Amino acid sequence: MDLHILDHRLRVTSISKTGLEQYTHPLIKLIFLRNRTRCKFFSLTETPENYTVVLDEEGFKELQPSAHLQVEGSTWLPLNVVSNGNASSSSQAVGVTKIAKSVIAPLAEQHVSVFMLSTYQTDFILVSESGVSLPLYYVCVCVCVCSVPHATVHPVLIPENQFCVMSLDPDTLPAIATTLIDVLFYSNSPKEGASVDQDMEYIKFFSFSLIDGYVSLVMDTEAQRQFPTDLLFTSSSGELWRMVRIGGQPLGFDECGIVAQISQPLADSDISAYYISTFSFDHALVSPFFSLFDTQNILALSIS
Amino acid sequence: MSSGYKPDILWSPHHADRYVICDTELSLYRIGPAGNSETKAGALPLSEETTATLLAINSDAPYMKCVAWYPKHEPECLLAVGQANGRVVLTSLGQSHNSKCKELVGKEFVPKHARQCNTLAWNPVDSNWLAAGLDKHRADFSVLIWDISSKFSSEAVPAEKVRLSGDVDSGLVVTKSLYELGQNDACLSLCWLPRDHQKLLLAGMHRNLAIFDLRNTSQKTFVNTKAIQGVTVDPHFQDRVASFFEGQVAIWDLRKFEKPVFTLTEQPKPLTKVAWCPTRMGLLATLTRDSNIIRLYDMQHTPMPFGDEVEPTIIERSVQPCSESIISSFAWHPSAQNRMVVVSPNRVMNDFTVFERISLAWSSTTALMWACGRHLYECAEDAGQGVAAAEKDIATKMRERAQLHYGHDTVQVWRNHVLAGGDDPHLRSLWYTLHYILHCSQYTENVEQKQQSNKQSLIYSGIKNIVKSSSGTTETRRCWSGSDRQTDVPRYHSEERSLALQLCGWIGRGPDIDVEPFLKSLEQEGEWERAAAVALFNLDIRRAIQILNKGASAEKGDLNLNVVAMALSGYTDEKNSLWREMCSSLRLQLKKPYLCIMFAFLTSEPGAYDAVLYESRVAVRDRVAFACMFLNDAQLPRYIDKLTNEMKEAGNLEGILLTGLTKDGVDLMESYVDRTGDVQTASFCMLKGSPGEVLKDPRVQCWIENYRNLLDAWRFWHKRAEFDIHRSKLDPSSKPLPQVFVSCNFCGKSISYSCSAMPHQGRGFSQYGVSGSPTKSKVTSCPGCRKPLPRCALCLMNMGTPVSSCPGTGKADEKADLTRDKKLAQFNNWFTWCHNCRHGGHAGHMLSWFRDHSECPVSACTCKCMQLDTTGNLVPSDSV
Repeated sequence: MDLHILDHRLRVTSISKTGLEQYTHPLIKLIFLRNRTRCKFFSLTETPENYTVVLDEEGFKELQPSAHLQVEGSTWLPLNVVSNGNASSSSQAVGVTKIAKSVIAPLAEQHVSVFMLSTYQTDFILVSESGVSLPLYYVCVCVCVCSVPHATVHPVLIPENQFCVMSLDPDTLPAIATTLIDVLFYSNSPKEGASVDQDMEYIKFFSFSLIDGYVSLVMDTEAQRQFPTDLLFTSSSGELWRMVRIGGQPLGFDECGIVAQISQPLADSDISAYYISTFSFDHALVSPFFSLFDTQNILALSIS
Repeated sequence: MSSGYKPDILWSPHHADRYVICDTELSLYRIGPAGNSETKAGALPLSEETTATLLAINSDAPYMKCVAWYPKHEPECLLAVGQANGRVVLTSLGQSHNSKCKELVGKEFVPKHARQCNTLAWNPVDSNWLAAGLDKHRADFSVLIWDISSKFSSEAVPAEKVRLSGDVDSGLVVTKSLYELGQNDACLSLCWLPRDHQKLLLAGMHRNLAIFDLRNTSQKTFVNTKAIQGVTVDPHFQDRVASFFEGQVAIWDLRKFEKPVFTLTEQPKPLTKVAWCPTRMGLLATLTRDSNIIRLYDMQHTPMPFGDEVEPTIIERSVQPCSESIISSFAWHPSAQNRMVVVSPNRVMNDFTVFERISLAWSSTTALMWACGRHLYECAEDAGQGVAAAEKDIATKMRERAQLHYGHDTVQVWRNHVLAGGDDPHLRSLWYTLHYILHCSQYTENVEQKQQSNKQSLIYSGIKNIVKSSSGTTETRRCWSGSDRQTDVPRYHSEERSLALQLCGWIGRGPDIDVEPFLKSLEQEGEWERAAAVALFNLDIRRAIQILNKGASAEKGDLNLNVVAMALSGYTDEKNSLWREMCSSLRLQLKKPYLCIMFAFLTSEPGAYDAVLYESRVAVRDRVAFACMFLNDAQLPRYIDKLTNEMKEAGNLEGILLTGLTKDGVDLMESYVDRTGDVQTASFCMLKGSPGEVLKDPRVQCWIENYRNLLDAWRFWHKRAEFDIHRSKLDPSSKPLPQVFVSCNFCGKSISYSCSAMPHQGRGFSQYGVSGSPTKSKVTSCPGCRKPLPRCALCLMNMGTPVSSCPGTGKADEKADLTRDKKLAQFNNWFTWCHNCRHGGHAGHMLSWFRDHSECPVSACTCKCMQLDTTGNLVPSDSV
């Protein structure tokens, strides 16, 4: 297993729902006109609160500063774990679960705050630039499982809707352009602004990323219906995922150990998961093959 | 969407005339000769000779990303198509009746997680195996090896899956692959390794090239690199692999897989295809995006076991198969040599044969050889007798002349032109000039010892300088001999002028100025017109007529000469006579230049002899002699200067008469060498010069060195040695210093120098009679300490040559040289030794030993003495 530091230098930003219209032009350019920008790393995630945009410095130049744009101060570097093929293929678990013990836990132990971004193709672990030199050295030598110190226990929210993670041939991106624009920018939920409450049954969550030419999409089944079926790549088993949203209050960027807190128990139970951090909250997608109840129990167990 | 796809091209592995173009659909073409294209409708011209006919189209497989042709004969035309969603579909073209094919066509191989299929490769031996390289997925493998003969998965396909993929006919779907490799990574290219067909697979993964051994899939060899696209094995050298990344091609040796053996120069645009030529060793073709050029890299001369230090030589060149249009893809023909078909983005195809690079070599003789493709051509000069000498190459001429000892006749110098073939008037003139110069200088040397130095240098400095120094010219008006009529032609005399005439060869050396001997010699050679002209210019009209008569009556004589003699006899000095009028107009119609100038002389005014002086067909020598006789002190230098410059410009060797062997002469010779390349004549000519300035001229040294090199290149080693001897006689400064000394093992003194070299030593060696010793043992002992010299490794006798003690003294005396030549020891007895192991013996013994052996004759010495000598095995091509 190799840990690579990719040569992107990333900024984490957030666009408020009301300010989106100011940013539609640069966003559409970054999504559809790949040849016009030198941006190689772009991720847009819509949550009920805001739009989280993670992008490299080339792409960041496109975004005009305004009151609607919140920018996290530091530069983030993406880490990527590549297995050498001789990794144990016995474990069914994928994604965050697989790297929980080897990377995330040691990072947490060193009090390094991480920002997770899972895609169809792989998982990116973003660490802020100032924190990368020490953990990298540390991660290389430390594969041991450590108990994670966590001060705060964050409440979790598990909405009803199911999500799927998909990919797309970048060449066919123009074919779904209108649908994508529709879903991204014109999907104001019927209950406008009313409930960003704890008891959300359905959560509005949509993620699009275009990283090194690879497209990854995370959407709920509702949104998926709007897309033509033959263009999107998915797994042949057609698996669907349930979301666990972590945090009652916006989490901020300083706290460490949150990802470890969630991924560790999942790893212990061998449950596959995706994990997508946004500006305010973290989101884990867990395999529905384990009942939600189990998941809840496991998480509750570990938290207590 | 179709606009996004650029057509690719694929040759059938078994039908040399079929290929497939794939973009959004598959189109099968047959290639044929263009001859009967009129009859075939729809035949597309590919080149001047070939056309393509569309046989079939298959558009069953949408979102095609890559295609691979089934490698076996049966079923033919079976293709695997990799799609954008990672599925691999088997399909065929124009094979509706093939039952075996039918079973397979339409079969689909579906990965667990959909993503683009980047590449496909059939196993060349176990042809049921099809390897597919896919994009990465976080939870899946990127290399899947399918078994196309595997039965369809009988269990029900999940309904959800059917919905997602939109696949109705799920009965043909295979989801279980034979092998899964490369977790959590992308595979951009792969190929089977021919070394171990069934087991080894090379794949370009995300950031490394990996070799998988299917016998143990958990183990792999890998190397980190960016060059992971388009991995392809050299069909002629199974350990050599090419891969690329953006604009750079890396060449790998699988035996030393840690790093690329070398990378090719980077192209500004990203590469799209890299392919080894299947018909030619080590030829790699590369194509970059949006380019109309295919770049070829010839690695023919790469040393096979790649050394660490040895930078392989690669010859790079580019071809432009279709003049303007951009090339989308290309494919080498599987069997026709160096042939490829290229296709442009708008599906215009072009049949193209890469012309083989021609390598060409001159031999040291005039033969030329070149290799093109698998052919070897030789071009040699036609050595037949019919070839005129003038048409021969100068190198051939020089070779022939060298063999005839050209330039070596130091006694009768003029004879050298005969040795040169005797057919070049310029060489003839040159050697006569040199002959006269040497003659005169010898004469003056003998006669006028006192003024020697002054006069000597004047002779060598040419007529141009001689006439300049002329003083005390006297003018005479002589009668026509044999008549008492006074001529009004003034004739000029001075010492210098007669020296010039001597150099021209008109008069002999000495005080008398009689031209009769010259006329006689001309008569002997049958140069009647020239003799007559010379006689006339000496105002002996009767003699001229007599010569002409003789010429007319001689064997093969020209009877017209009688007519000329008749015309001549009518000469009158009457200014307005009919004779004069007719002669001056009709003389221009005379073909023979000497006859022409005779009448010109007779009809022109005194002092105005331009018709004679500028008649370029007349030898310079005669014109100059004429000028010396009839031009006054003002006219003469002007004329000579003008003529000299003309000669120098033209590089005409006749001009050496004027310039002599001075710097002017070197200038003239330079333009001659520039014109002809004849360094041989230049070298010999300049060596003849008075010892001194000209030989120091760098140009002269350059000619001499070049001539020596030329002789060496022809393996005329004996000739070269002769030339060096000849040269050292004429130019003592060129004599090489002794470079090798044999020193005594005991006293450390050189054994070759004895008495005269060490006169201060008390015991003169002569007293021991080293050279004239009656006892042979003295020869084989050191003259210094009288200890024995080393033994010959073969005969075990002590070595030593009888006259090794006789050193050359400073003054090179010809006669002494001759006697010494005689006294020199037989070559067979000379010391020889290997510079490496220092063993040796008598030259004769060594020669015969190394005729059959390459190793040192001393037992226990393993030195391969003979092989150390690169020229030792060459045979001189000239005889001694």
